[in-house]
Amino acid sequence: MSPTGAAPGRVQSRRTLRRLLSARNVVVAAATALALLLPLFGSNFFVEFVMTRTMILGIAAATIVFLAAYGGMVSLAQYLLAGVAGFMVGNAVVAQDAWSKGLKLGWNPWVAVLFALAVTTAVAFVLGALASRTTGIYFLMITLTYAVIGYYVFGSITPLSGFGGITGIDPPGLFEDHPQRMYLALVVLSVLVYVAFRVLAVTPFGLALQGIRDDPVRMASLGFNVSLHRTLAFTLAGFTAGLAGVFNVWWNGQIDPTSISIGPTLDLLIVAVIGGTLSLEGAWLGAFVFVAANNYLRNLPLVDHIGITEARFNTIVGVLVLLIMILSPDGLAGIIDRIRLGLRRLVQLSRGSGAGPAEAAAGSAP
Amino acid sequence: MNTDAATAASAERSGSLLNLEAVVVAFGGLQALGGVDLKVWKGDRLALLGPNGAGKTTLFNVIAGDIKPTSGRVIIKGIDCTELPARFRPRLGVARTYQKTRLFRGLTVEDNLYLAQTGRSGRHLALLRSGVDAEFRERARAMAETVWLADVVGVTAGDLSHGQQRQLEIGMALVTGPEFVMLDEPASGLSRGERERLVQLLLSLDADITLLLIEHDMDVALRAAQRVMVMNEGETVASGTPDEIRVDPLVHSIYLGSEAGLGGADP
Repeated sequence: MSPTGAAPGRVQSRRTLRRLLSARNVVVAAATALALLLPLFGSNFFVEFVMTRTMILGIAAATIVFLAAYGGMVSLAQYLLAGVAGFMVGNAVVAQDAWSKGLKLGWNPWVAVLFALAVTTAVAFVLGALASRTTGIYFLMITLTYAVIGYYVFGSITPLSGFGGITGIDPPGLFEDHPQRMYLALVVLSVLVYVAFRVLAVTPFGLALQGIRDDPVRMASLGFNVSLHRTLAFTLAGFTAGLAGVFNVWWNGQIDPTSISIGPTLDLLIVAVIGGTLSLEGAWLGAFVFVAANNYLRNLPLVDHIGITEARFNTIVGVLVLLIMILSPDGLAGIIDRIRLGLRRLVQLSRGSGAGPAEAAAGSAP
Repeated sequence: MNTDAATAASAERSGSLLNLEAVVVAFGGLQALGGVDLKVWKGDRLALLGPNGAGKTTLFNVIAGDIKPTSGRVIIKGIDCTELPARFRPRLGVARTYQKTRLFRGLTVEDNLYLAQTGRSGRHLALLRSGVDAEFRERARAMAETVWLADVVGVTAGDLSHGQQRQLEIGMALVTGPEFVMLDEPASGLSRGERERLVQLLLSLDADITLLLIEHDMDVALRAAQRVMVMNEGETVASGTPDEIRVDPLVHSIYLGSEAGLGGADP
């Protein structure tokens, strides 16, 4: 694999460039550019409501995908962790004299963010450590338990959650009354999260995490501390979910225990499943489909005649998820992959015999 | 670490790398190992023979720390490892393969061989690549060549043929730079030519490397080993040099059953 030419540095950099220009990366870059330019031509409702919510859910769902794809852990606790961050922000920023509930600490909003992320990360570490010895369905069950417990904890400790939740949570001045700025910040954050997770996959830590996904027993016999690895991955995912939670509470302006109950928890899992639990891009794709279905279904012509109203939203999403699970267990991203493979095969067939092996080798460089 | 080094040094003086004392393993009512004693010296080449269910793999799992013995002690390099979890074994220079292939099926051959080295190095929590990684990568590719996988370094382990997976399995044990290698049926699933290469590979290992081998292929086992231990129903029933084992009537009756098994084993 090492370059043997006269100018190895140049060969190496050209190779790196070609790897960076893969179809996947080009599509992601184009989507990012489109998302950044969207405020220039998109309607206010579309940008400030649909797409902002898409980005928030996308980041939160990406943490599910990260844990599932690289760590082999399907977590139902991610929405809870986002909620922990939201509650912490709410308690910290609301001023003492405000007409609201909660601790009303009245802190600077940026200090509140740091505080919220620190608490969320610590909670994720503890929850991760407790769940780190389980895998598969048992991990799913434990994290489901976390989600249920979290709902009841915030529901019953009313000094932390108010009676009907904490209201009047203002974002920092940077975003207050500037919903487009918040949207752009979320796009940038989404890109950072996406790139960070992709890069992490090829670091020693990320490779070890994938090794643990594939064979924890072998990893232990090679000297790895499997539960510590799982715990740290869960903590990182928790921190990232916390980021989504902070933006979520800024965007909503309020948070109550119901907003982290089992319903929203499952919604986030559905977002990940729609997009494809093994594809990071799928997280945002799934979030977009979910939010768009939520907002636009009722606008379709004839919808009233066949009885599809907002109240039937869950039925529609349920059918959608069912269809995706049957047609493509790896979600929309899986469907796109399959179409791409099919097209490539068609092109190869039309050319006679294709240069398949060369492409396969180019894709597998570390 | 200093005290570890001191005990290791004293163990080296006494010569025994591995010492099993009356190891008993019971799975419920079933006694898989019934008080096995075993001493392995540095540089030993020991083969474990025995019919299916004799307790060979259980013995491996006990040494590797995957199973805790019901009673008895496991001492590696003078350190009592009976209660230590499996992940501490690599620090003592122990590496093993598995009878049923255990690879990182979603990662490439090179990444598999790379990961095998990082566990012992303490680098596995690192978020950045460093010079050590380049060294590991280099060694991973060299090992891929040693186990005849040079042209598939970039292929995902799950896509390899069965024989190639077995080769990678061995490579992952050897690439850690072990002092004590345990191979669980390395020749199973290999073709005749591949078996011959395997024997050559095992014979070419550094003389300091201690080898413990479970093998059903008598030809491979008797050629690669200098000492043979025969197990049956959880107990040691015979031990000696390959030549002694070949002619041992007890071994014939319990393990080989007939003369035919021996005829083909002659190198």
